[in-house]
Formats: sequence, structure tokens, C-alpha cells
Amino acid sequence: MSAGREMEQGRECRRIAVMGGVYNNWAALQALLEDARGRSVDAIFCLGDMGGFGPHPDRVFPLLREGGVLAIQGNYDESLASGRTDCGCGYTDPRDNHYARVSYRYTYQHTSTENKRWLGSLPPRRRVKLGPYRLLMCHGSPRIINEFLWESATPDGLVRSFLAGNEADVILCSHTGIKWHRALAEDRHLVNVGVIGRPENDGTPRVWYTILTAGPDLGVEFVPLVYDHETLARAMEAEALPPEFVTTIRTGWWTTCLENLPARERSRSRF
Amino acid sequence: MPTVPFRHLAALWVQLTGTWCNLECAHCINASGPDDPWLKPLDPGSTRRALDEAERLGVKEIYFTGGEPFLHREILPLMEDALRVAPTTVLTNGTAITESMADALAALASRTRYTLEIRVSLDDVDPDANDRVRGPGSWTKAVQAIRRLHARGLLPIVTATEISGSDARTGRYERFRDFLVRLGIDKPRLKIMPVFALGRMAGGDGERLSQDALDGFDTGILQCSDTRVVADGGVFACPILAGLEGARLSTGSLEDSFRSVPLYHTACVTCYRTEMSCRNS
Repeated sequence: MSAGREMEQGRECRRIAVMGGVYNNWAALQALLEDARGRSVDAIFCLGDMGGFGPHPDRVFPLLREGGVLAIQGNYDESLASGRTDCGCGYTDPRDNHYARVSYRYTYQHTSTENKRWLGSLPPRRRVKLGPYRLLMCHGSPRIINEFLWESATPDGLVRSFLAGNEADVILCSHTGIKWHRALAEDRHLVNVGVIGRPENDGTPRVWYTILTAGPDLGVEFVPLVYDHETLARAMEAEALPPEFVTTIRTGWWTTCLENLPARERSRSRF
Repeated sequence: MPTVPFRHLAALWVQLTGTWCNLECAHCINASGPDDPWLKPLDPGSTRRALDEAERLGVKEIYFTGGEPFLHREILPLMEDALRVAPTTVLTNGTAITESMADALAALASRTRYTLEIRVSLDDVDPDANDRVRGPGSWTKAVQAIRRLHARGLLPIVTATEISGSDARTGRYERFRDFLVRLGIDKPRLKIMPVFALGRMAGGDGERLSQDALDGFDTGILQCSDTRVVADGGVFACPILAGLEGARLSTGSLEDSFRSVPLYHTACVTCYRTEMSCRNS
């Protein structure tokens, strides 16, 4: 990790909105920007992966820029910006790999050079002061951009080592697509903020983002976002994206890329 | 000799039963079997000390392997101890997963914070082809174990090697998936591993990696960069080479093994070429 590329947020915040994985879902991003503005946040952050899965990648960039969203790079963004031939998700299941390739190829072909350049300009991590809390924002984990931190598979000892090794009180990450929060002793936290690009495998089409508030304790609120998912689903169909992806948007159940789910999270899923 | 720098401790493997096993598979990487094991089982005290140290060092995952880990008399209490530290996976041939053991595993999984993963080895969907590699009756027992675990919501990961049907590598994943679905496993989970030229498959041309091979290669892909194995006699570089003198990195603490690993073995060529990992994903 190059220290020069880690972004320091100058001003101190009291209340922030944080989202993960936009996955080309401009409809959810629009809904989030309206919702978060109504909640008096000081800033809106995105933990990367702007592309993949959904239709019309270039629609999300003006929304991010005009909305003043402070973003970091996800593995998808890193791959797009550097011209890699795959998303860097690292699947081994041939079926998952097939869908990952379809998704990446579509996003690569439909993302403008200017927007790829913008993705390349994003920092891989960001530090923010939220009241007394030192926040470290990353995409997968503080050490690896595409590391999965699932709730059932992230030990307290690992979280403690991340916090101590990065001089942080709170680590914010995303990448897995399912939100969770772990509070440890001495007011230390890890929060996986979830994603807004696709539902979180819970059988509903809503997506989630996170509001963090500095108070006597750290306030962590997961915010459900109901948006016009049907418009997105129709746009996916019009772009001939895989029907399996469209099913996920409509039903809330993941149909692909399930191989990395630990047994506990997988047992709650439909497929 | 090329070496791989240590990055961090992502996975701790525990060679719980050494090479003591109730099967004698034709491709076994450490030639495990029912006779006096060349690599002895670990005593529970050493295992618990390794778990404690791994927790302090920020380990992410724990794996129990052997041999056959379910032959260890303290397997359940040790799994419970491991699951207090981190998500834990047990690699098994399935022969000891009786109805009552499956009940005990389900009960354990339901009361722990971290996920319990059971990997059941099955080398072919065809009973005869499987049993030629793994021994008579092994297919039936493994499939029974898969069904018992699935019935309790434990979602086993079926682990196969590329040993059988070597002319049909393409489609292996699909054949296993279709087979599991036909068994009624609605959330099939699979891991396919290459065959290594060691243990009972030792031989070949003895090819070794050269320093040139690592030019421009991301050694972080290799599991020896973030994995260590505690076995009788010390701490070793990876699960494939556990117990071998050339792979021993420490005879003391786990932390003492956090140093570069020499890629000295012909098995290292397989890892390099396939970019495989013994981890679940």
C-alpha cells in the first residue's frame, strides 16, 4: 500500500453516509443520494466497485461526481482502470467465472475512457475523522483489495490486528455484498457497509447503505433503500444481460457467484 | 533456490492425526494409512497452544487435516476450541460421519460464532472409479456423509482431485454439480484439486522451480506466503509438504516460522503452474 495514495479527509465529520458496490445501478445510487441528503450527513462515501452486474456503466459517474461522493477504488475499478482482462474476483467455479466474465466484458466495453481514467485516479484507501473516531475506509480489507470479510468468517483476532496495524478505531469495508457490524472492546469496530448495486441475498429487492454518527458511542445504522428496481431490471433485459442477474434484482436472491459464501451465509440463501 | 516472502497468517493448518488414516488412497499427498504413521498425531496440548498463538497473531481461518481428523479422540473439543478463535474447516473422508457425529457437528455449528466448514473427499461420481482410487466402500460412505451433513444444513464442500478420468478434465465441475443435485443437494459446493507428485504419487522428472520462473510472478498467490501448518515436529510451510524436513520452518513457535519459504520441492511447481490453494476458496 502506497502511503502517498492513501487519502486523508481534511475536515472532521460528525455524520456520514457510506455505500459499497454500485455495480452500475444508477437507479439505486439516485435513490441513495436523495435519501442521504434528507438525513443531514456531512459527506457521502463510496467504498468502490462502481461497475459490474448492471446496465449502462457510464450513468453512475455523473451522479457520483455531481453528488460530491468521495470514493475509493474497488477491485473492479482497479481492473477497469488498468485494462485488465478480468475483474480480479478470483472465482474457481467455472459457472461463476462465466458470469464474472460476461459482467466484466460488458462493463469494460461500455465504460468510457474518461471514466476509466477517473477510476484510476481514486485512492485505494481513505482516512476520515468522525468525531473522536479514526476511520479507515477500504474496499475488501485493509491488506488486500479483494479480500472477503464475511461476518461468520472474520475472527475478532483478525479485526484487532487490522485496527492495531492501521492505527484506526473503526474499519469500514464492503466487497462481500452483505452488511454487518462487529463492536469490540475499547469502542473499536469493523463495519461492512453492504452494497447498493444488488440486494443482499435476503429475498427482497431492497439494498442497503450505512449511516455512521459520532456521539457518546459510535452510531451505526444500516439503512434499507427501496428504489425503482423494475426500471433497472428492464434496462438489464434490454441490454441482454444474463437473466440470472435480472432475477437477482427482482427477487433479492443471488443466483451466481455463490462460491465464496461461507456455509453459514450460504445456508440462508435460496440457491 | 527461489523463495517466497511471508506476508501474513491467513490460514493455520493443524495436521491433527498426522498420517494416520483408515483409508489408503492411491494419490494421497502424504501417504497416509492405517499402519504406524510416519508423521505422528498432534497432542491436544500442542494443538491448543497453536490455536492460542494463531489467535494472537490475527489468523483468519483454521483447518484440521491429517490423515483422517475424525479418528482423533478429542476432535470435537478441539474443533470447539478452534471455532472460538476463527472459522474452522475439517477435511475428512466421511467414513466417521455417522448419524450421531453429524448431530454433534450440527449442534457445534449452531452454537459457535464462526462458520464450520466440512470438506468431504470424493474423487469420482462413479462408485467404481472412486473406489479404485480411495478403496472399496469409500464412495458409499462419503456419499452417506454428504447426505447426512446436508440434511442438517451443514453444506459440505465436496473435494475432488483430478486423479480419475484424467482424459475428461473438462466438465469435471459440471459432472460433480449435476451428481450432487441429483442426490438432492440443492446448494452444491465443490473444490477441485490437482494431483501432486509426492506421497503415493511420488516420482516424475523431479522438476524444480528456478529463480527466473518467479520474474514478474506474484508470489502472493502461493499459499506458502500466508499459510502455516502445525504438525508433529514443528511448523511447516504448507499442507502439501507438512512433515517434510525441507519445509520445516520452526521447531518452536508459530511466529518463528514467519520467514521466507524455499520453493525446493517438485510439488511447488504444481502450485506455481496451477495457482491452486488448499484453502476453501
